[in-house]
Amino acid sequence: MSALIFTIVLGIILLYLGFVKNKAILAPVAIAGLMITLFLLFKDWGLGSKYFHDMIVFDNFSIAFNISMVIITILIFFFGIDYYEALEFHVAEHYALMIFALTGAFLMTSFSNLIMLFLGIEILSIPLYVLAGGKKYSYRSNEASFKYFMLGSFATTIFLFGVALVYGASATFYLPEIKIFISQFNGHLPPMMLVGLLFILIGVAFKVAVAPFHFWSPDVYEGAPTLVTAFMSTVVKTAGFAAFFRLLNMGLLPLPVPLEKALWVMTGLTLLIGNLAALKQTNFKRLLAYSSIAHSGFIMLAMLSQHNTSASVILYYTFVYSLATVPIFIIFILMKRAADGSEELSIFRGLYKQKPWIAVFLTILLMSMAGIPPTSGFMAKYQVFVLSISQGYLGISIVAILMAVIGIYYYFFVMREVFTEREQSYPIQVSKINAALIVVCGVAVVMLGIFVWNLPI
Amino acid sequence: MVFLFYFLSAIMVISALLVVSTRSPINSVIYLIVCFITMAGHYILLNAQFLAVVQIIVYTGAIMVLFLFVIMLLNLNKITVPTKTSLTRIAALITGGLFFLVLIAATRLTFEIHPRYAFDSKIGLVSEVGKTLFGEFLLPFELSSVIFISSMVGAVMFGKKDK
Repeated sequence: MSALIFTIVLGIILLYLGFVKNKAILAPVAIAGLMITLFLLFKDWGLGSKYFHDMIVFDNFSIAFNISMVIITILIFFFGIDYYEALEFHVAEHYALMIFALTGAFLMTSFSNLIMLFLGIEILSIPLYVLAGGKKYSYRSNEASFKYFMLGSFATTIFLFGVALVYGASATFYLPEIKIFISQFNGHLPPMMLVGLLFILIGVAFKVAVAPFHFWSPDVYEGAPTLVTAFMSTVVKTAGFAAFFRLLNMGLLPLPVPLEKALWVMTGLTLLIGNLAALKQTNFKRLLAYSSIAHSGFIMLAMLSQHNTSASVILYYTFVYSLATVPIFIIFILMKRAADGSEELSIFRGLYKQKPWIAVFLTILLMSMAGIPPTSGFMAKYQVFVLSISQGYLGISIVAILMAVIGIYYYFFVMREVFTEREQSYPIQVSKINAALIVVCGVAVVMLGIFVWNLPI
Repeated sequence: MVFLFYFLSAIMVISALLVVSTRSPINSVIYLIVCFITMAGHYILLNAQFLAVVQIIVYTGAIMVLFLFVIMLLNLNKITVPTKTSLTRIAALITGGLFFLVLIAATRLTFEIHPRYAFDSKIGLVSEVGKTLFGEFLLPFELSSVIFISSMVGAVMFGKKDK
């Protein structure tokens, strides 16, 4: 709770710091504040404290996810030092909105009441609608913001309608009570409850971009400023899946059969669409958007294979995926600058010739995304497959493994470009902080894969 | 009471149909306001004063006036019916028809509702709502301020001119 309050206050402090002329102090203050948040979160570990009529419960699950999200946000803010240097206006607002989105993410990992889940999703989404339109004078950015806002509001409405229907049937918002209510019916739920649960799942599935609710994601990822895209594909995705898992685990498991079938179909579709559509992309940001949809499929697989270790596997997967995604976006920005603003895959051409060490780290990071040993991406995927096969879901596991193999193909597209020779139009300039971030994340991705195979929860 | 209910419902359904069938956007908005006011009447019939007042203030007062402003400022009052190809029309018809079918099937099953608690006629009064809001639901109430501040920041960010 202290961490939650502290981040809100930090956001307001950052807003006020916008009045100070020197904008170089913003990122250090934000990062220092997040470090304190990290400390406050560690202090709550193991207490399982409940607040305000059990509206939120800070158990180890929520604290572990919160810590992973704060770490990723710190990395993104370090990236922001360089990224926002050219930006003259509203820098403080950008940082503050990201902090506010993070508080929403905290709520999404720690709710035990459907109202809190709704509030968490909204507090996370509204700053993102604004951030996606962060480049005010770019047509693509406006389009992304507007599209995300319209579709996101629509999904939230469906979610809220679902909450209302569930409340109408069960007369409670509190998840453990909903669980008891569902268990009374022995699988034959009243239709109102069933429709309500379906609507709730649709709302959450939209937020994590699971097929068939994924159409917004490539357009928004492409149009939003790259730093915001990095934030969306890491922190937001982690928060969304934490919320999804908590919703299922606390309230809805064992799922009613029609809903379970629907979720399995969604998993299969996500795996297929994400990986197959990625093959045809030429824009790098769109490629990463589809790869992120594909990763959602794998996380869904881990989530639906209900076992005690599911939470830990999801935490490991999302953390490792985020850790690889942030530096890939940093390298993408460096190459985009060197290629005069183009976002095609061909901008990576000639990277090895000019900056061999970046090329090596990019290769490691892409290998982790594709799931090639010894990187941690392999360990994450491996654990998902072990989990799903041990729970007896053989058919979908085979589909997932096939799709993982196809995934390697499109990551190698990028690697091939990296090692093809060509002269860059401009030299690639790497600031010290960005270089350090790339190295730290690259090393961490390998070290986690070799030494740490699961994170405590 | 029963007469009032049917009277309000009839007005509501007719005005709702007119919202989608009139061609001029201004008329649409005004019919929508009528629809919302009758809905507030329904809330009063259910003894939910707070909801009725909120319905009038927020929807009819704020949101609908905003709609009217936008339509007037953007000068959308011309009758513009976007032309669509026959393919999209057929697709829309099939999708809408299927959705309608699903809705009918769903509502047919949901008509039997067994409430867990007996109806309490005082539940919609302002004092009861206030007690719940500042008692059990204090945390969500306070946290919704974060939504407001971030949307305000967003409005300023988009609206302000960069010099």
